Amino acid sequence: MKVLAILALAATVGLGLEARQDNAPLPDFVEIPAGPFTMGADPAVDPRAFDNEKWSRSASEGTVELPAFYLARHEVTVAQYAAFVRATKAPTDPNPLAGQPTHPVTFVTWPNTVAYGRWLESVLAKAPGLTGDLVRAGWRVTLPTEAQWEKAARGGDRRAYPWGDQPRKDRSNFEGTGTTPVGQYSCPECPYGLADMSGNVWEWTSSPYQPYPYDPTDDRANLEADALWVMRGGHYGDPARTVRTTTRGAADPGARRAFIGFRVALVQQ
Amino acid sequence: MSTTKRRDRRAETPHRPERSFDAQPAPLVILALPLAFTASLLALTLLPRLQRSDALLWSFWSAGAVLLAWLALIAVAAIKNGAPSIHLAPPRPQHYIQACCHLTVYAFWGYYWRPVYDYAPLLVGQILFAYAFDMLLSWSRRQSYGLGLGPFPIIFSTNLFLWLVDDWFAFQFLLVALGFAGKAFVRWERDGERVHIFNPSAFSLAIFSVVLLTTGTTSLTWGQEIATTFSLGPHIYKVLFLVGLVVMYFFSITPVTAMAALTLFGGSMLYTAITGVPYFVDSDIPSAVFLGLHLLVTDPSTSPRTPLGRAIFGVLYGVGVFGLYALLGAFGLPTFYDKLLCVPLLNLAVPSIDRAVRAMGDKPLLHTLGLDLPLGRANLAHMGVWVLIFGVMTSVGAADGRHKGDSLPFWEQACAADKPQACARLLRIEASYCGDNAGWACNELGRHYTEGKLVASDPERAFAYFSRACEARVQAGCVNLLDSSPPARANPRAFDLRLLAREGGPNLMTMAEPELYARACQHGWEFACSAATSR
Repeated sequence: MKVLAILALAATVGLGLEARQDNAPLPDFVEIPAGPFTMGADPAVDPRAFDNEKWSRSASEGTVELPAFYLARHEVTVAQYAAFVRATKAPTDPNPLAGQPTHPVTFVTWPNTVAYGRWLESVLAKAPGLTGDLVRAGWRVTLPTEAQWEKAARGGDRRAYPWGDQPRKDRSNFEGTGTTPVGQYSCPECPYGLADMSGNVWEWTSSPYQPYPYDPTDDRANLEADALWVMRGGHYGDPARTVRTTTRGAADPGARRAFIGFRVALVQQ
Repeated sequence: MSTTKRRDRRAETPHRPERSFDAQPAPLVILALPLAFTASLLALTLLPRLQRSDALLWSFWSAGAVLLAWLALIAVAAIKNGAPSIHLAPPRPQHYIQACCHLTVYAFWGYYWRPVYDYAPLLVGQILFAYAFDMLLSWSRRQSYGLGLGPFPIIFSTNLFLWLVDDWFAFQFLLVALGFAGKAFVRWERDGERVHIFNPSAFSLAIFSVVLLTTGTTSLTWGQEIATTFSLGPHIYKVLFLVGLVVMYFFSITPVTAMAALTLFGGSMLYTAITGVPYFVDSDIPSAVFLGLHLLVTDPSTSPRTPLGRAIFGVLYGVGVFGLYALLGAFGLPTFYDKLLCVPLLNLAVPSIDRAVRAMGDKPLLHTLGLDLPLGRANLAHMGVWVLIFGVMTSVGAADGRHKGDSLPFWEQACAADKPQACARLLRIEASYCGDNAGWACNELGRHYTEGKLVASDPERAFAYFSRACEARVQAGCVNLLDSSPPARANPRAFDLRLLAREGGPNLMTMAEPELYARACQHGWEFACSAATSR
């Protein structure tokens, strides 16, 4: 009897460990409602803006209409990415998994992030709740477009930073030395309650780098050029100017860097 | 007649009497010899090339340990039975001339493919191992060991065709041991002499090839790389031809090489005429096969005795390679084993070939072709014919120069026209270029695995290829990762063309863009023709 009890206890502990391994917390998605928002910034109006943020020769900014979508509240963490690597046995170098479990995963290429989205979609398809229902209804887990990202970061009122127009070191990890756990900086003023939309790590988007004005239909144009993909948000080591909501970075899709991570979106196809 | 026979034998295998030491060295001195070879083998582990890999170090240590243990047993036996004996074997042309020819090929090949030079310490290690192994094997059989240059051509020849990767290098020593064991044990009576049946290097290569093929472990070798990197050197066919002439001059093996080349070339031409596509993908005779028919199949000791016999031997080798290429390809196996597998079988057929030739008797046609002459006398004439054949091959573009199979658009068109094997080859060529990091080729492969027309649809594999294309900065590959219905395509970028238009030679990284696009235009890339003129 005693032996059976020990075996049962061992099995429970074993199952518990298994469950914890497989159940790294899934991303918490936040709804970004449908509607227009103002995209871009003009260096002539805001001297902090870079030239590539200006909408066009004749317009400082543009208005972009987006349908509703969901964006993860946090950047994907090392623990979440590790769950994907374990589940898919995806070949990876050790760097992405070397960070602290609660910090954003870094050293991931753009294709790595798309692969993560594919896997997460298959996980959510079996999950209960709203996100599971959405996936089962045909929504897809992917990277946000740069327009989706910018709308989620600045909301409807053209703010330069997610919390307002001035940089605040108590709201975001920038001009620092390394990543911080996702969501460490509380930001009650931020639209939609998203964390780390400014600083911590650059975030890959699903948009190829093209000059403004932004046009979601031209992603398949210019296919013969060398690919560069937009990343947003700046990183822990950047100055305040770079962690604004409209700053456009771009990187080689094969780049693995200590300051590039990502967050996922749930979009309707 | 008997005089002619004697001259013939001399021309073929110039024997000199083996020289005994005036007095046998002291037993300790004799036993010190394999010890010295083994110690040198172990000393090589101090070299940086070996220090780079633990597996390599263990391979050398293990080989050394086996040799030392064996030597200890021999030493113990020597106390009881007396010291083993040794004699000096005079340098034989088939050893030192062949070895010089091999070294020339290594030097040229390595100049254009650096891993060859990097491999030099491992080659030295095998030679040291071979000496010690052969010595101990002779003494274990209570025979006197003839100290000569014999191991050199065997090791050099073996390594021109197959290397095990560092992690599995211990098996390279096994490969060497197998060759020497085959030479020592597998023998028969031929023309009153007890001689080895098999070409030692070809014997071990063939056995290893069978094992690697049946166990699906080709990836443990550098076989594919070896087979494809000879062509990195410019004019490789001419270089091999010139090196081959030296071998032909000394060993009268011209009929073997010439008839093998003619058979392969003829078969290839015939196939192309019938099907419209090349038989071998990007050549009429692959450069590694061309090497094989000069330096692998041409061991005079294991070839027929007469020119006609050797011509038949060459034809059979050509037919064997031709058939094995198709057979291996049909089973989805690496085709570079084609040149290795049939040599031992041909060695076994040698007495039958000799008998058949004898049975043919005097025929006027043979006389006219000089095939009934003794080997030595007809050799120069045979070489002249071979020079002529090679000249014709060169002039029609069968050696060096551009080959239509080099062109990827050619294979795309051939595949679209449903030519035999064209789609399978297109996939293989694209996989090879994708492996070289030509992202365009990776995207094309992803497209094929998405569309499921040339190959069964496989979304996971398609995703992997698109990922690879995207990481190589091919925009279409990245776009396809997000949505591949339908898959996006684009023309190759300049970077891709530097790989895709290399024609088996080195990458074209320094070629100016106008020249690059002009070359791509010649390959059939239509977009490149306008790009060439606009740049």
